[in-house]
Amino acid sequence: MDEILRGGIPYGSTVLAAGTCGSGKTTLGMEFLVRGALAGEACAHFTATEPSVKLLENIRQYAFFDMNMIDSGLINVFDMDVLYSWLGLDKASFDLDDVHALIKAIVDIVNTIGVTRLVIDSVTTLCYKIKSEQLIRDFLFTLGKKLATLGCTTILISEITSATENAHWSSFGVEEAIADGIIVMGDVERMGHLLRFLQVVKMRGTAHSRAKHSIELTPLGVMLTPMLKWGAVSDKSTRWGA
Amino acid sequence: MFELDQRIAEQLTEVSLNSSVQVRCGNSNAFMVTASTMIPLMQMFEMGGVYICATRGAVEIIEAFEAIGVDVSSIQFIDLVSSGILGGTDVPYSNITFVDSPIMLESVLLRTLYTLRIIPTERNFVLIDSVNSLAIYNEERMLAEYLHTFINTFRQREILSVILNVPDQVPPTVLSNLDLYCTDLIDRGQVVIH
Repeated sequence: MDEILRGGIPYGSTVLAAGTCGSGKTTLGMEFLVRGALAGEACAHFTATEPSVKLLENIRQYAFFDMNMIDSGLINVFDMDVLYSWLGLDKASFDLDDVHALIKAIVDIVNTIGVTRLVIDSVTTLCYKIKSEQLIRDFLFTLGKKLATLGCTTILISEITSATENAHWSSFGVEEAIADGIIVMGDVERMGHLLRFLQVVKMRGTAHSRAKHSIELTPLGVMLTPMLKWGAVSDKSTRWGA
Repeated sequence: MFELDQRIAEQLTEVSLNSSVQVRCGNSNAFMVTASTMIPLMQMFEMGGVYICATRGAVEIIEAFEAIGVDVSSIQFIDLVSSGILGGTDVPYSNITFVDSPIMLESVLLRTLYTLRIIPTERNFVLIDSVNSLAIYNEERMLAEYLHTFINTFRQREILSVILNVPDQVPPTVLSNLDLYCTDLIDRGQVVIH
């Protein structure tokens, strides 16, 4: 990833990692935190899609992950459901005050622990409770701005249903507008087989590659190689003829 | 009695780690040529490596080596065949991993790179068996592009790549590109009469 980004994600950026189910978003996010923890950075992971116990159980299979990083407090995992309970936000939808309370809670945690790498998995699940598009935009913009001020580099994981050329890179259409960077993850279907890919669409402040890369989730982490040019589009597109 | 082709071993002594060797064989001598290439690499040069099985399942290849008294437990096998057969991945060897299909060329490359990172040997080779089998599943231009990427990836990392093919059955574009990409040629192929 550092090579694709010509050095890495710029310090303090908010990056949207948008991907279809099973495309490797959570693994990428967790590896981002682990690499930070290995460099001695304090990291935080807010999980809204699955309980932290289940997340940690899944991530333990990877050799790059070490449970000591959790035990020593280098990586802090927070269940969003627990956070909602603390804040009295056990409700179906959030209003403006609720959104501000949520931002304050996340920023307070980041500030208190001194978090420099943060993953929110997923911003889609989190935003389901925010009914207005304007409020979602405000939430993400304010959160991103405050985290950047604190020097925190953030990956917002976004669930999308399609990663083809015409797809949106976010569920609500606003996440991509506030992000400094967009990484798209999905599958290319080749004769009935799904190949995972990753593509950096945007990363402010870098002269990054915009090529499609094939990825494998190995025990050592996410491995990438440029996708073959003659095989970089799904079967339904033009590669196999009109 | 199985006899190795000693001339292959002699030819291999001239090969450096960042070479890419095209090994041409015929339909009837494929295993003899493969074994004559691999055995010197393992025994004379003490190399480890990755054997990419696209023609036959890895178990069959390991058993063929065992039948001639050669231990290949230090070689890692990436099997592209057996996942296509139900029950094919239930194997008694720990040095075999599977990729779903020969279609997933990039996955094969990444799995090979991953395997090379975890094996203990310092000097390694990667062997593709064979271009012909990959050509069954992959379009000609894509296969030519893949071999170009594959060879350069390993050359840059100083890992010897060995590309096995039966020349008269390889698509012409792929074959001519192999001639261009590979630094060395071991030719035990059939005589082609056009």
